[in-house]
Amino acid sequence: MRRSVDLTPGQRVALAAGTAMLLASTVLIVAAPQPVPALVQFFLKPFSSRLAFGSMLQGAVPLMIAGIGVLLAFKSSNFNLGGEGQIYAGALAACVTGLALQDATAPLVAVLASIAAGMLTGALLASISGLLKAMRGVSEMISSFLLSAAVVLLADALLTGPLQDPASNFQTTRMLSRALLLPRLLPPSRLDLAFPVALLLIGATRYLARTSRIGFELAICGTNEAFARYCGIPVEAYMVGTMAVSGALHGLAGALLVLGPYGRVMRGFSAGTGWSAISVALLAQGSEAGILPAALFFAWLKAGSDQVMIGSGIPSEFIAILQAAAMFLVTASSLPIMRRHRKIPASGVETPAAPQEPDSTGQASSEPGVTP
Amino acid sequence: MNDQSGTILLAILKAAFPASVPLLFAALGGLFSELSGMLNIALEGLMGAGAFFGMAAALVTGSRLAGLAGALAAAGLAAWIMGTVTLRVRANIFITGLALNLAVSGLTTFLSQLWFGTKAVVNVPLPPLSKQAFTAVILAAAAAWICCSALVLHGTTFGIRLRATGMNPTAMTALGHDPDRYRLAALLISGMASAAGGYILALSVSAYVPNIVSGRGWIALVAIYLGKRRPLAVAASCLLFALAESASNYLQGVGGMSPLIMLALPYLVTLISLVVGTGARQRH
Repeated sequence: MRRSVDLTPGQRVALAAGTAMLLASTVLIVAAPQPVPALVQFFLKPFSSRLAFGSMLQGAVPLMIAGIGVLLAFKSSNFNLGGEGQIYAGALAACVTGLALQDATAPLVAVLASIAAGMLTGALLASISGLLKAMRGVSEMISSFLLSAAVVLLADALLTGPLQDPASNFQTTRMLSRALLLPRLLPPSRLDLAFPVALLLIGATRYLARTSRIGFELAICGTNEAFARYCGIPVEAYMVGTMAVSGALHGLAGALLVLGPYGRVMRGFSAGTGWSAISVALLAQGSEAGILPAALFFAWLKAGSDQVMIGSGIPSEFIAILQAAAMFLVTASSLPIMRRHRKIPASGVETPAAPQEPDSTGQASSEPGVTP
Repeated sequence: MNDQSGTILLAILKAAFPASVPLLFAALGGLFSELSGMLNIALEGLMGAGAFFGMAAALVTGSRLAGLAGALAAAGLAAWIMGTVTLRVRANIFITGLALNLAVSGLTTFLSQLWFGTKAVVNVPLPPLSKQAFTAVILAAAAAWICCSALVLHGTTFGIRLRATGMNPTAMTALGHDPDRYRLAALLISGMASAAGGYILALSVSAYVPNIVSGRGWIALVAIYLGKRRPLAVAASCLLFALAESASNYLQGVGGMSPLIMLALPYLVTLISLVVGTGARQRH
């Protein structure tokens, strides 16, 4: 007899995170030449030195900022799958602006202008998908993905062509001047001012979501669109607006990477950060405050997989597998359990439905399950 | 129209038919799951799984058919996992689909490094087969697949029940059928068909090339929309996208444009056709 138990958000997170850790351990034991050192490298090395710890925290910064962006869109039931392109394009716009202004204006002006350029570019890209959804009913999920995939290739093309640093053999832009880069907080690591900025951003979003009218209306759009329309909430404006803000935050994440650890944009800049941000937002289970632990968790996994790549030669794509494992289970709403000791008549068995969550297939989920 | 542009058009048209085959397999496979009420966004990942595991099996055995079996088995397993997590554990299918795409792109690179010692192209020596014979075989397979999927979806009890599941799962339950069984079957079909598409893609260059699918799974998804969920119209949409692809391949050779821009073109064409093609039917 197959039955299932409903999962609370906490249990869901534990299931997803636990599976990722278990899978990490299994793969390391099977694939690493020496399992024990590999396990130590993966789980503990990120905490072992100022450099490693600071780098891990720095790795969480783009995940926090872009994660908030994904979460905002999720809450209004818009799926922004274009994070990769928005981060890349935002970074490129920020870098170009910074390079153009660094000799002409004061550093602070150049920094603020390049951040603004990055955010604007991200916002523009994402709002196209919002507009297409509002005006023509095109799925924003597919349009944002397609647009982002094209943007990533076009940005690659710019970096191998007009924007390439003539002095470098690599496909990268010129380096921004030192004066434009954010101050470092924990040398020798690259942890910089962007970390407290990201924390502030999480706090501010949480505050706005709970107290402001916009936060309230946005949540209504997300939970019940028909009701939102009935209340006179401009649903279409919220579609475009949340996508734009989501894109702006992805652009900001890209801009801060340029102004912080990298100082330039190189080919393949986004490197999966957009997808990781989606995992972070999912793991946060709809809570702004949850973004912080979720981002730190994924930053830890990333730092650990970097360590085993250096230490044990495990390919760095390891992290993508762990992320996927967590993502698979993070929306699980009920867990099948085997019960042999209690016989229940087949006709009386109901498959417990997910109460609040929309069903996986978008259909009503409360129909009684027919057991074979 | 002068003579030269006529030959060019003919060349583009001739290249478009074989180029449409991988799309056809994935799109008509995806149609099964779409009609059962689930938009399967993992077609991209399933194609990638088919290309990698198919070529890996072909490399080990030296046989194209064994490779196909490997591709079908691997993608079938992936689709089964995705289906079980979605239907039994009641996870969100968009998210599990996304996870599958992510898992495949990570896992194939990971295993490529581990098994073949490279993240780059893996050449697969296979028994000789002329280009014409290969093209003829895949075109015949594609034609068979179009007929077969149209017949199954519209002419068999299974197909009618599968479509009924998509329209009204509660009615299916009332009739004593488990909608989840039809959905799982549809997911398996979409997974295996996509895998066959990805495997054909890799076979046509006799190598596993990383990221060889490069968005074709998403294009197949849009072909389902554009074909308004009717098998023959979906097939026609695939041919249209294949024409765009072979035209951009041709321009890449002649126009001297950056190949990266040309690679971006199919995504943009797909997006534009999605915008033009939607409107009549609103989703969500």
